[in-house]
Amino acid sequence: MFTRIGYNKNTNSDIMLKKAENILSKIPSADYADVRVVDQSSEDIATKDGVVEALESSQSLGYNIRILKDGVWGFTASFDLSEQGVDETIKKALAIVKASTKHKTSNVQLDELEPIVDSYKTPIQEDPFNVPMEEKIKILLAADKAQKVSDKIAVTQASYQANRERKYFVSSIGSKIDQDIVWTGAGTDTTAVDGPELQNRSYPNSFRGQNQTRGFELVRELELEKHAPKYAKQAVELLTADTCPTGEFDLILDSNQLALQIHESCGHAVELDRVLGYEASYAGTSFLTTEKLFNFQYGSNIVNLTADATIPGGLGTFGYDDEGVPAQRTYLVKEGTFQDYITSRDTVSKLHELNPKYNKKSNGTVRASSWSRLPMIRMTNINLEPGGEVGTGKAWSLDEMIADTKYGIFMSTNRSWSIDDRRYNFQFGTEIAWEIKNGKLGRMLKNPTYQGITPQFWQSCDAICGRPEWTVWGTPNCGKGQPGQVMYTGHGASPARFKKVKVGVVKW
Amino acid sequence: MLGEEKLNQIAEKALSFSKAEQTEVVLSVSGNALTRFANNQIHQNVAWKNLGISARVIIDKKTHLRKGSGGQVGVASTNAFDTESLKDVMARATELASLQEPDPGFVSLPKPQKIEKVSDDIYHATEEEMSDGAHTVIKKAMKENLIASGAYANDVSELAVANSLGVWAYHAGSSCNLSAIVLGIDSSGFAADVARNPDEVDAELVAETAVQKTLESKNPQDIEPGGYEVILEPQAVSEMMAFFQWYGPNARIYHEGASPLSDQMGKQVFGKNITIIDDPFHESVFPMPFDFEGQPKKAMTFIKNGVLENIAYDSYHALKYHHKNTGHALPAPNTMGPIPLHMYIAAGDKTRDEMIKNVKRGLLVTRLWYVRVLNPKMLNVTGMTRDATFLIENGKIIRPVKNLRFNQSIPEALNNVVGIENKLTPLASFEGEMISLAPTLHISKWEFSSATLF
Repeated sequence: MFTRIGYNKNTNSDIMLKKAENILSKIPSADYADVRVVDQSSEDIATKDGVVEALESSQSLGYNIRILKDGVWGFTASFDLSEQGVDETIKKALAIVKASTKHKTSNVQLDELEPIVDSYKTPIQEDPFNVPMEEKIKILLAADKAQKVSDKIAVTQASYQANRERKYFVSSIGSKIDQDIVWTGAGTDTTAVDGPELQNRSYPNSFRGQNQTRGFELVRELELEKHAPKYAKQAVELLTADTCPTGEFDLILDSNQLALQIHESCGHAVELDRVLGYEASYAGTSFLTTEKLFNFQYGSNIVNLTADATIPGGLGTFGYDDEGVPAQRTYLVKEGTFQDYITSRDTVSKLHELNPKYNKKSNGTVRASSWSRLPMIRMTNINLEPGGEVGTGKAWSLDEMIADTKYGIFMSTNRSWSIDDRRYNFQFGTEIAWEIKNGKLGRMLKNPTYQGITPQFWQSCDAICGRPEWTVWGTPNCGKGQPGQVMYTGHGASPARFKKVKVGVVKW
Repeated sequence: MLGEEKLNQIAEKALSFSKAEQTEVVLSVSGNALTRFANNQIHQNVAWKNLGISARVIIDKKTHLRKGSGGQVGVASTNAFDTESLKDVMARATELASLQEPDPGFVSLPKPQKIEKVSDDIYHATEEEMSDGAHTVIKKAMKENLIASGAYANDVSELAVANSLGVWAYHAGSSCNLSAIVLGIDSSGFAADVARNPDEVDAELVAETAVQKTLESKNPQDIEPGGYEVILEPQAVSEMMAFFQWYGPNARIYHEGASPLSDQMGKQVFGKNITIIDDPFHESVFPMPFDFEGQPKKAMTFIKNGVLENIAYDSYHALKYHHKNTGHALPAPNTMGPIPLHMYIAAGDKTRDEMIKNVKRGLLVTRLWYVRVLNPKMLNVTGMTRDATFLIENGKIIRPVKNLRFNQSIPEALNNVVGIENKLTPLASFEGEMISLAPTLHISKWEFSSATLF
């Protein structure tokens, strides 16, 4: 009925690239065109209260074509790789181009790009898809059981996920790129309940643990069973802990919370499509408008933020973006000053018009969440660089930072997050906090929250831990675009301190 | 689209490849298009089609199922219907099931039930219709020197569920959704319309409303955060209630003790003026006669005059907790629990203008943004106002104000409702998949905790 040409582990790169080239060859004359054939597979295991409640294996194969003609884009995607299916997909794309042309007011321009013929494969030690399922289940059930440290434990959960994306990209400028990207993740999540009180603790991070472009070695290194009891005990202790006090205090954020702070207040704010208004209809715009480039004081002079798609293991690490632009490292904020956006070939051309001082090409951040979605600017690994490596400031240790704090709050592991549609006003909640008094970590605090305005917050940063405490956290659930796309992104961070932050903004 | 007969053949064929004790297949076929505009022109114009099969296989290698103490469940999916792919998906699901420990909570897949037939009419919007809809908004915005953005989505889909116990259910449907956010120098306005048929989408009204909101919210002034009366327009009510859908009448969370409704059955949980209904056949929503296990849906009342009367169950939680299945299953494997997809607050007896007149000092909120749960048990949420917020004094809209952050308990809000609009507005999510209805609400107290800069 429909022609299938193979799945994931059986996929032959040469055949798939030829298929992509065949599709490209059928596209009538255009200013530019590219084709992506994508073969995705994933497996998910989720346990709850000692039972494997989700055990799933998913596969999806399809392709898309992107045509730039008469100054407008047309995009279509289909599962149907038959000759007839491809013809229909191209025909539909051309009809879309025609409809868009009818009301156009300006032409899309692309920046220059040299053709690239190459392959990229995520370096992994142990392919997660080759590890016996029995072993994975055993690891998770042991981690699930290890959480039962008290009769106050209401729910125990453990999860594992692995994903493989084989992407075959060809374009009308002559690029031909195949990539094999693998990412893996795992974690535990304990819920303790006592009457109206409910508390959670997760290891090593909330929302499905740690995720990286690595193999099963990540899951082994996490040692879920060993660490789960400590976090489960904390969930129980939180039930009777004091509520986080309200006030303006020095705030130390653990690296797993800082990762989401970076994601929301820097990562989304530097997306050039958002800045140019192309996301206004959904997620909003950004306060980092183009006249602020090279002169806006985003943070204090020890704040250095990068977009780096080349970090080993980062969840936003790859060889080439979905426009065929090589992975890159870019300073977004250097010594506190706003320096750059994350860009695509068409938005960067627009930026050249708006700010003549800007003369860079696309920094390669365009990705799509599947074959059925339009590639768009997405965070790669957006990082707060470790203290003491660029400009002034020193490489603190967390112990030193706490010892240097007279009164403050140390918060860890995200629980809630929200930010306005220009990325100014944010509020975060974490699973746990501790009070710092006279340089010493004191009582545990429940229901911690903090709130701020992005540039004021980053300008208050006065200490950042060094590389030994720097971790690249995975954020696999970043939503953007219409139709919606959920992308996997990474964030390198080490604990950092912020002065006089509004803490304990909600009481319950 | 493939049609019921073809999908039935595929389902039968797939089921024939399973040797398991029980097997279920969920088939989907979809064709989607979305025309997106920004900066007064179309910038993304996309169409895609896909199909999918998800197989849930239950085996009884360890003989727990026949003793009533749990089956071994595995789920696999793919996006192809050819013979090789159907065999492969069934083999993968079976292999996964064989590695499972029995789930003591799993008793059986559901048996066939009579399903009410609803219209399977579908409507495809053409590229021109969608482009013209976008242009209607753009034209009106440009006339006022404003900037239009938005999206016109058309979704057409078929869903079929079959299992080895004889369940067969099929439904086709479609939706068209035009949403717009119009931007001024220091203001913005939102409007949307949703319908089954592109002819019923009122692009002129969407354009007019969004432009008007933008003009009216020009030059917003600072306002102190604090407790205010609020008029929440339907989009804001829908955004508030989305989390109640997940954490409220959900059997899984209810029985875990993690819902604000846990242990409250039969008790007064909200104000006496609050009735919350789940009606998959309401004339203004997109009908859905069965759930993802092929079990019939029906209209039911969760909250009647503030009293908790029912919660949502799927077959797993119904059998586990000895309750009747209410037809609220989501696709397997489902770790979120049964969730009502057609839930709304019943209309009241006031007009929007009457409610505004009753406000002494409060805020008119067009919509909410980035709403997130702080604590599911208390269902307190945080979020921002967005796309036109106004100060009301002594029953009159005085001026636009800058956006505010709120921290608010939803149960508290539903205990403080002092006015409910006498009509319901159909609403779509931004992608058009989840349709809901909402009235405008007048709530006597809503906690705003901080301000933003615009």
